[in-house]
Amino acid sequence: MAAAPLSESDAGSYLYGIVARDRAAPDAAGVDPRHAVVAVAEGPVAGLVSRVSLTEFDEAALPQRLADAAWLEQKIRAHEQVLDAALESGAVVPCRFCTVYRDEHDVRRFLAERADVLAAALARLDGCVELGVKAFAASTPGNAEATRAESGRAYLEARREEKQAREDLARSRAELVRDLHERLLAAAKDGVLLDLQSREASGRDSEMVFNASYLVDVTSRFEAELTAAAGDYDGVQLEVTGPWPPYNFVPEELGRP
Amino acid sequence: MSDSGRPVLAHEVTLLELVDRVLNKGVVLTGDITLSVADVDLVYVGLRVLLASVATLEEQRQLAAGEAL
Repeated sequence: MAAAPLSESDAGSYLYGIVARDRAAPDAAGVDPRHAVVAVAEGPVAGLVSRVSLTEFDEAALPQRLADAAWLEQKIRAHEQVLDAALESGAVVPCRFCTVYRDEHDVRRFLAERADVLAAALARLDGCVELGVKAFAASTPGNAEATRAESGRAYLEARREEKQAREDLARSRAELVRDLHERLLAAAKDGVLLDLQSREASGRDSEMVFNASYLVDVTSRFEAELTAAAGDYDGVQLEVTGPWPPYNFVPEELGRP
Repeated sequence: MSDSGRPVLAHEVTLLELVDRVLNKGVVLTGDITLSVADVDLVYVGLRVLLASVATLEEQRQLAAGEAL
């Protein structure tokens, strides 16, 4: 039971993710540090849950909360820390941020109703983590010849070459994406291509040319394949993030509609 | 061997990476939860603010780095 006295407004149940029934709750502070994370067992699975204030997390209050960057960052990190801690000792099906039920009975009902699909997902994810893989290419300076060209003909010629160079670049990048994804997928259990992030978002000078995530068996040759791949693409820097809870590999019927 | 010879394992997970997954992916429930799927736009509101704060933090970091030199 949580240490803090429960008031009416603390009745919300924040669901972080789902684990197998026999698993203990991870030792991590929840999104509301006053309340511990507990494992709510139902059938073959258990929900990782902590109590939250509905004043803080209710639908009416959320727009304002989500506009508060400091609040958001703190809660997002807490959400992730609970799932990271859970991932250390076994499979977890992660929930999206701010999955809040008004009451623990509703959590139990969800777990009971979706027991089959959740148990199957946990079996599939067992021994696996998600790894993010990105590739960055140094930005290519545009062809300066066009602006320097003196005659009209030289200008047009330079423009034509510039267009050709752009098309070649687009083609070689598409090829890189296809090739890299194919070889990493062959070493992984599953994989998904994600949207590229803009320079503004990633805060880097180099351009993102590849963004994907893979479901990887921890004993697999994935990292060896990645190291091999890293030397095979000129002017491209690979970056790995993770291990992540398998956010990108939740069962389709439970994902975003 | 070039710089690109080895993948870099990013130990410090950026907030952007986190936001990208935690706000957009994972099990998305409907029904009894308080943040319903109809309110998905709220998540983007939050995301925009967060990205703005990341940019601000980055500027501060660069300023601090500049002063340290």
